[in-house]
Amino acid sequence: MNPSAGPLPYTDTKPQGSADFYYAINATFRYILTKLGREAWAAYLQEMGRGYFAPVNTAWRTGGLPAVARYWRAFFAAEPGAVVAVTEQPDRVEIHVHECPALKHLRAGGREIVREYCRHCHILGTARAAAAGLEMRLRGGNGSCCHTYALPSAALPPQEPAAIAEVTP
Amino acid sequence: MIGCYDFCGHYEWTFGWLERAGGHAQVRDYWNEAINHDSQRHARDLIRGEGIPGMLKYWGHTLLEESPDLGFHISHRADVFRIDFHDCPSRGFLLRNGIHHYRDYCDHCMGWTGPMLCEAGYVIDHEHNHRGQCWWEMRPAGAPGGHAAPGSVAGDKDVRLRPDWPRDPAQLDRYEKANDPDEKLP
Repeated sequence: MNPSAGPLPYTDTKPQGSADFYYAINATFRYILTKLGREAWAAYLQEMGRGYFAPVNTAWRTGGLPAVARYWRAFFAAEPGAVVAVTEQPDRVEIHVHECPALKHLRAGGREIVREYCRHCHILGTARAAAAGLEMRLRGGNGSCCHTYALPSAALPPQEPAAIAEVTP
Repeated sequence: MIGCYDFCGHYEWTFGWLERAGGHAQVRDYWNEAINHDSQRHARDLIRGEGIPGMLKYWGHTLLEESPDLGFHISHRADVFRIDFHDCPSRGFLLRNGIHHYRDYCDHCMGWTGPMLCEAGYVIDHEHNHRGQCWWEMRPAGAPGGHAAPGSVAGDKDVRLRPDWPRDPAQLDRYEKANDPDEKLP
């Protein structure tokens, strides 16, 4: 890879991505869920979290929570339509997603969204956090949610599966 | 969250994952089912309904969004729709960032547009050099074989007129009146 000096591992020539790519992300989830099943979909996300995102995980491990906060601010600045606030505390970073850019665009485009869509953030985020020596929790979903990345010393309560909303039409 | 800013990166990573999960057939099926029939159904509907004017609407919009600095050129006539990529936004993202998880990322374009255009009644002439330059000509099925001469459709925008375009066909992946990503010319 070609690590950039910024908080994102990869750089583009334009400031934000193309929102229509959310169609392909949703379609990819539907394809893997339908053809290969939920366990395979979870494995896909876990392997992506450990593999494709390894440069980010390394930056988080070495840079700690400030690096986590910088990453998510830069990440959502590059996602068109995102309305997000990132807050830092001594033992955790919280990402308050007021308007999920993916679900907003998929709904605006009249796409059928896989009901598990929000769960991908938890499966992927947990794998990435573990690789960085952190823990991840998610609550909410279906358009707005809160991600927490924390030090083990924060002693977060276990993830409640019911705390993650399914996507509804 | 998987984002769209680095979509081409995790999209390419996904090809490699699918190939490990189910072999080459799984990747081909993904391009056709997930991309052609699901993600890009707006393209499919436009082109099946309107033919070349639909191609102009679809690629005119999507390429401007993906490549606002115009690393591409579109030419069209009643009998042919052509795109020359001088700086592919998608392949360029991977090259600039040193991302490589799948043996030939460029195959994905023929992987989903090939079946889509087949269903719409079109065939494709195409060459790519794996360095972010390629050209495409879509014509109604039944068009006579052979590639059109360089410059005959796109004038001086024809990517084959670039000084760095390979003169050795072995350095290119080439297709002639094709719809299948595996129908590369020998």
